Amino acid sequence: MIVRLVVVLAVVGLVVAVRVALDRRRRWSAEEALPGARFPAWVTEGADRTWVVFTTPYCASCGPIVEHLAVADPRARVVAVDASHDPGLARDFGVRRAPTVFEADGRGNPLRRFSGADAVREAVPA
Amino acid sequence: MMSTGPTPIDPRGPRTNQAVLAMALLVGFLADWRAVVPIFAVVLFLGAAFGPRYGPVLRFYAEVVKPRLGPPAELEDPRPPRFAAAVGVVFLVASAVAFLAGAPGLGWGLALVVAALAGLAAVTGVCVGCEVYLWLARLRGRPLTPAASP
Repeated sequence: MIVRLVVVLAVVGLVVAVRVALDRRRRWSAEEALPGARFPAWVTEGADRTWVVFTTPYCASCGPIVEHLAVADPRARVVAVDASHDPGLARDFGVRRAPTVFEADGRGNPLRRFSGADAVREAVPA
Repeated sequence: MMSTGPTPIDPRGPRTNQAVLAMALLVGFLADWRAVVPIFAVVLFLGAAFGPRYGPVLRFYAEVVKPRLGPPAELEDPRPPRFAAAVGVVFLVASAVAFLAGAPGLGWGLALVVAALAGLAAVTGVCVGCEVYLWLARLRGRPLTPAASP
């Protein structure tokens, strides 16, 4: 019985440890300094400001976030970039999850970065 | 862009399923109650094979828990968690076979793998089976059909 209890506690401890590690990593990711990369012209050309939304095909919340930004900030352009089709760009910008959203100026310089749909909705309310 | 594919689901449904599964398997292991393995193999199979309406825990979440909660912050594609549940069924069936073959150590080992991964998914949202599904889809080079918008 004691052995079984130790095994159960080990499994629970492992899960909790992974959760704590992930929480730390997510906080770091959200506060991460913007990378030095600049968005290519096809992403930001023709607009003073662009919301660049990194998506994946299985990201169910990415479509609604694109629509949310288009409605909440009609003065800015909104561009969805499928990270699975453009992995190089996603890698350049350190994208690890979808949606990851950047606000960029007209020259392609990233201004702000958000990880996750909640962070975007909080920063850019409807 | 997001107009085809299955309707996105509330991810808290599969998370509830995974939490109940992990708890049940850990308690079953603690009490050496081996029947919990085939019982939850059937519970997982019903949801994975026939959809959330037929999975007892998924249905309990949809009819009892969800109405008391607010809308989900995010939705998810139903295919990866269904695949993950199917993998869980395979492991639990193998575990039950191990028990029947007189190898309880192997049986509980397989069940504890399922419990750990289900607990991980429930607590962190990291679904290893879902990641395997995405990896296989990429490996096969299949065009990935996006999930429909709600």
